[in-house]
Amino acid sequence: MVRVKSRYLLCEVNVSESSDLLLLDDRAVAGAVRSAVARMHGDYGAALCSIRFSVKYLNVHNGMVFLRFPKSCFQFLWSALPFITNIESRGQQIPCFLNCLHVGGTIRTCQKFLIRYNTQQLQRILPKCKNAGNTEKDHVCQEILNCLPTRGTKPTYEGGSEFEEDERE
Amino acid sequence: MSASKVKMRDRKMKNQPASVQYSSPSAAAGSSSQNGRQEAKDSGWQRNPPPRTGWVRGYQRDGGGGYMTEMPKYITAGAFARSRAAEVKAMLKAVTKRTGSNHVFQALPKHMRRRAMSHNTKRLPRRLRDVASKMVISANAFSCFSDSSMLRVRSHTLLHQREKSLQAGSKKKKELAKSKSRKARRRHGNLLLEFNRRQRKNIWLETHIWHAKRFHMVKKWGYCLGDRPTCKCYRPCYRAMSSHCLLLDISYYCCIELRGEEDTLLTALSQLTSKETGPTFAAALCLSGCRQGSVTVYRAGQYPSHPLGPVTFLWRPRAEGSASRQLWIWAHPALKQDLLPELQRVCECFEAVVPPVIPVATPAESASTLESEPKPEVSPKAKVTPGGKRKRSRVDAGGPPAKKILGDGTRSPDTPVTWKSSSSGIVINDLTMEMVRYRLVGPQSHSVLTETLEAATDCDEAGQSQASSLWWPQHCRDERKMNLHQQQAEVFNTLKGIYSSGEVPPGTVLGLTVDDPRLTLPAKKVKAMPSVNQSQEADEEKRRQLMLQGVPQLCSQSCLWEQSVRDNVTENKISEQELNRMRSELLVPGSRLSPTPLQGRIPILLVHQPGKQVGNDMSSWGAGWDLLLPKGWGMAFWVPLVYRGVRIAGLHMSLKRSQNQGAPHFPHDYPDCPAGIRFQEEQEAELLDKFKRRPPAKRTNYIKHGCLAPFRCPWQQLVEEWELLTRQRGDGQARSTTKPKEEEMTPQPDHAGTKPQSGFTVVRSRKSLRLLSAWCKLPTSRGQRPGRGGGAPPLQQSAADAFLASHRMSVAWVRLSLLSKGKPELHAMVCAPTPEDLKLLGKRDAGTCPQEPPHRDDFKSKTRRRKKSSKTGAGPLQSSDYPGTEASEPSVDAEPDLVLGVWPDPLPSITSHCSRVTLGWVTEGDFSLSAGCGEALGFVSVAGLLNTLLSQPEEHRGKVLLRNPSSLHYRFAQINIEV
Repeated sequence: MVRVKSRYLLCEVNVSESSDLLLLDDRAVAGAVRSAVARMHGDYGAALCSIRFSVKYLNVHNGMVFLRFPKSCFQFLWSALPFITNIESRGQQIPCFLNCLHVGGTIRTCQKFLIRYNTQQLQRILPKCKNAGNTEKDHVCQEILNCLPTRGTKPTYEGGSEFEEDERE
Repeated sequence: MSASKVKMRDRKMKNQPASVQYSSPSAAAGSSSQNGRQEAKDSGWQRNPPPRTGWVRGYQRDGGGGYMTEMPKYITAGAFARSRAAEVKAMLKAVTKRTGSNHVFQALPKHMRRRAMSHNTKRLPRRLRDVASKMVISANAFSCFSDSSMLRVRSHTLLHQREKSLQAGSKKKKELAKSKSRKARRRHGNLLLEFNRRQRKNIWLETHIWHAKRFHMVKKWGYCLGDRPTCKCYRPCYRAMSSHCLLLDISYYCCIELRGEEDTLLTALSQLTSKETGPTFAAALCLSGCRQGSVTVYRAGQYPSHPLGPVTFLWRPRAEGSASRQLWIWAHPALKQDLLPELQRVCECFEAVVPPVIPVATPAESASTLESEPKPEVSPKAKVTPGGKRKRSRVDAGGPPAKKILGDGTRSPDTPVTWKSSSSGIVINDLTMEMVRYRLVGPQSHSVLTETLEAATDCDEAGQSQASSLWWPQHCRDERKMNLHQQQAEVFNTLKGIYSSGEVPPGTVLGLTVDDPRLTLPAKKVKAMPSVNQSQEADEEKRRQLMLQGVPQLCSQSCLWEQSVRDNVTENKISEQELNRMRSELLVPGSRLSPTPLQGRIPILLVHQPGKQVGNDMSSWGAGWDLLLPKGWGMAFWVPLVYRGVRIAGLHMSLKRSQNQGAPHFPHDYPDCPAGIRFQEEQEAELLDKFKRRPPAKRTNYIKHGCLAPFRCPWQQLVEEWELLTRQRGDGQARSTTKPKEEEMTPQPDHAGTKPQSGFTVVRSRKSLRLLSAWCKLPTSRGQRPGRGGGAPPLQQSAADAFLASHRMSVAWVRLSLLSKGKPELHAMVCAPTPEDLKLLGKRDAGTCPQEPPHRDDFKSKTRRRKKSSKTGAGPLQSSDYPGTEASEPSVDAEPDLVLGVWPDPLPSITSHCSRVTLGWVTEGDFSLSAGCGEALGFVSVAGLLNTLLSQPEEHRGKVLLRNPSSLHYRFAQINIEV
């Protein structure tokens, strides 16, 4: 109804050297996006990018990024993303590109998509694991079992406990 | 951002995953400072990090600087998978946990949301209710602190938490006590235990459960009684009374049995009554046992002062060859506590007969008390354990299983119920709750009875020959008794042919033995209709005899009088379960049980209740029958009666009945009896309480309406003022209209203090009432029936003075019917009209009626001031160390009941307070459906009444004014005194 609307882009940071990924942080990603937008769209783009753009989430282990853009101009800003070729972080240039997986209206939908995507990925990894005895396969199996989206579980509420925890601080 | 906002945000972000990244000095400075806490707490997946990492989050700067060495050199597929899985977990948590919002209902889809859901947890679906109620409690606890500063909250959090845990503990305990499931609680044995426990305080009638499901119950006189049905049925009940049948359970009436020689009984009882008020206990018809009588009982030898109240009585018909008689006195429970000591005094019965140690007569009581009493002696250690457990252990130990309480459950078994006299040989027996009494009101009540009941069938030869403990086979063996039974059955059958219950002579008593009415229960509710048409010659003759002479004296005998038979019948009642089992074994489903089980013969008594006897219209309205049963059989008769299409009513309707009938209702219309005084006090407290519950701005200001006593009628003050008035008039020989305005100076405080409470009496002498009645009547109406008031002397000053000499301090019970519109209410004032008012009446202008000018409320400002001062006094200090409060408190105490809109206690002169002279008040008023106009019953001072009558012209005799407490309009009414 009446609220500030945004678009959330779920992107994957693809790097050639996977250890590079661990160097990333959210400020670096944001800076890279900003500079790319400024490069492609000039001052106007930079100004748009300064309004409500932010990096909501970054996972350095698999390079998942949530980017938030204002809804009015997200396509405009999105069009600059393919031009990111490297990200400067901690004094290092990390060559990479951003691959947009999902565009959502709320973080929640992005999270939901990410769950689906990750489980899918895990299931795709599983048949490929073969080296080092059975340990890796076991690991993956274990993880798959751990994170199985338990279907049918109701949202849980912990109202009272929440209050208590809050007041304890 | 304010602290609360931070808090809100924290709550919102708690479940959200934070970015997973290695710390860098620059990043730590800015970005994740506010997320730090959540990250540290987050889901625990960082706590088992990938190999060799020890990666730390956000602001943990101690790990900063060495990130290069801490970073893993390679990643394996396992680590990759692990990271994916961990992310999935974090995201899952974020998705499934609701974010931020405090309200459970926000999780519901829109179409399931309801109005005021946050306010009322009952509107939520059941599965969410627990959570919601928990949140409501914690929110309440939180709001206690919200007004104080946040800092204080923080400092008090520990304490607060302890409080909360305490609260939770107490709640849990409460839940534990109620932990038995509903199913377990409703199981038969447990339910019975629960019912028995609840019956200890107030006596339950046998139909209690039936009533409790359908009626508003009130606790009165130590009983739980149905007041009025929950359904809307005021008019249907009236219709039932006037055209069909209305059923009331009046088992709460107390029966006192007197046994002894006829002469000694009569001499003892004659002290309690006076012949002037009508037939006494010795009335010949009643003494023979074929009529029920009613008398007003006074304290021994103190007539006409100190009345106790009305009772009905029933003599047992004489048994041949014994001079001992048996008398039942039925009294209202409010009256019993006064009546019983008086009876004991008169009969000199002070020797209490201690009931036997194991009362065989009341097995139910003994069972329940055996369970409760010897407990401490048997197991002293059981005392320590809580009650519920002890009870269970006792039941397990093989104690008697709980039995249904029949009769009085509140009385302990060793209270004496029997007293005997060594000198006169009279035995008084308290038979309270030993019998069930149902009252059927209405012209068709006899058809309901004849349809429901069936005279008992003889038992066959086999049954007779067997020796059994049941009373009926033994009874059948006696030829004479069987003859009597057949006669009674015949009379009962002729009852069918009667047109209306009012045709039977009032007070007729018919003894009978009937079959179990459950056997003839119709499958569907039917409406009992009269069957008059089957008229044969012989029947006609019998019917006429019944209508003229009543039941032959012989037929009034019943086995219900015998204690042993009553007990036998009560003990051997077939249970409902057993009966249904027998029914299910029938070959043809739904047919009648062919050999009636031997236990199913019950002795009963049918007592005719007279209807309206006084007055000239609607005679015998509300006539009916009373059905007397042995205890334990209440429901067995109740349900079959209900299935005959009767209406059931409660206390409220019985009050309306007596109002329509023009008969005084016991505690209401006996202000001079101790029970009546108690009732008045209760009523005052109740009405005042109700009045005080209204907001002051919405209350009626009775002072402005000139109403001195809206809640209680000060009869004593009224009669004293009128006595003073008449005496002064006698001194001054002023024959013109009274000028009560002169008596403003009447010294109220001293007569309130010195005189005894009930110095006034209600006129009950028949002769005086007849005289008054004749004087009140309009000359035209007297002309119509010249026979009636012929003997009365004409109304003159001398006759009135002579009458007043004997009834100086009396009030008379009158009936007022309004001449125009208007509905009189409780405690409406009866006033004397001025000559100008009567001229107004002559015009017959419908709209005009005299009006009372509004009064001034001098107390209003005083009350306000008092209130304000008390408020300011109480505000800043609670203790009494402030001098101001001490000064103000005594004044508050001096006039504690200064309620806005009600006169404080020492009332000014009542008679002259308004522009019209007050004669009395209404005790019961309503729109009368039978008369079609407003009707009221009330009392007026005899002196005032005579004064008014004397001053009125002939054609307006007996006209008075009626004004409701909350109105300024006077309405004209005609006074009737009916004898």
